[in-house]
Amino acid sequence: MSNDVIRREEFGEVAVLHILTTSVDTNSAAAIEATASQAAMRPITVLDFANVAFINSAGISALLKFVVSARKAGNKLFAMNVSPHHQKIFKMVEMSRFMPTIEERDLASYR
Amino acid sequence: MERVLVNIPSNPIFERVVRASASELGQAIGLPPERVEDLKLAVSEAVNNAIDHGNRREATKLVEVVFVLEPDKLEIHISDQGQGVEQLNFSRRTIDESNLEGGMHRGFGMYFIGALVDDYEVRSSQQGTVMTLRLYRKDAIS
Repeated sequence: MSNDVIRREEFGEVAVLHILTTSVDTNSAAAIEATASQAAMRPITVLDFANVAFINSAGISALLKFVVSARKAGNKLFAMNVSPHHQKIFKMVEMSRFMPTIEERDLASYR
Repeated sequence: MERVLVNIPSNPIFERVVRASASELGQAIGLPPERVEDLKLAVSEAVNNAIDHGNRREATKLVEVVFVLEPDKLEIHISDQGQGVEQLNFSRRTIDESNLEGGMHRGFGMYFIGALVDDYEVRSSQQGTVMTLRLYRKDAIS
């Protein structure tokens, strides 16, 4: 599965959703939310923020759709390649409680 | 003192224009990179609020953004042409289980503004709302 804003990669029990848009904002929120289905997820689902330069509150609302989907399916959701600024923002709203960060090297054993 | 004026229609795509301007001006006055990121987010939230809640996305209504560059600070005035608001809530807001399950995923924007700028004020009337944000250059103060 792939669209303009998300590219999905799957290996074993892991799905990595690479966010392709640089702005997770009002303009990209609908397309991001549209990919937040349980079908897109695996027991371990990782959102990759390597390309993301900006996130605002509308973007956080869109990301929370992944949190809700993951919780409903009993999947674990992680964030990867989160910039220091976005780590600060996630901490402010306590997003980190629902989507802790993971290092890319931690996924190596699943490949 | 120098002023930069940006007028945008009430379409969220143009918020990116204001954000890019904020980024350039923040760098131009020498804000550290992390403060430029704070500035971009605060301006983004204020402009989106003006588009959505002030002008209710009516394309004919403009959001006016004035950046005022002073030696010790950057001041940003964001004005809409709406009917005014009674009160904006800048208090801390976090994600919890109850608002997750209830689908209440909004309301972080004003909290970000209040937390990320050095000071802010809101003036609202039936002619519209003006939000003023200020970021001080710490090196200019000390």
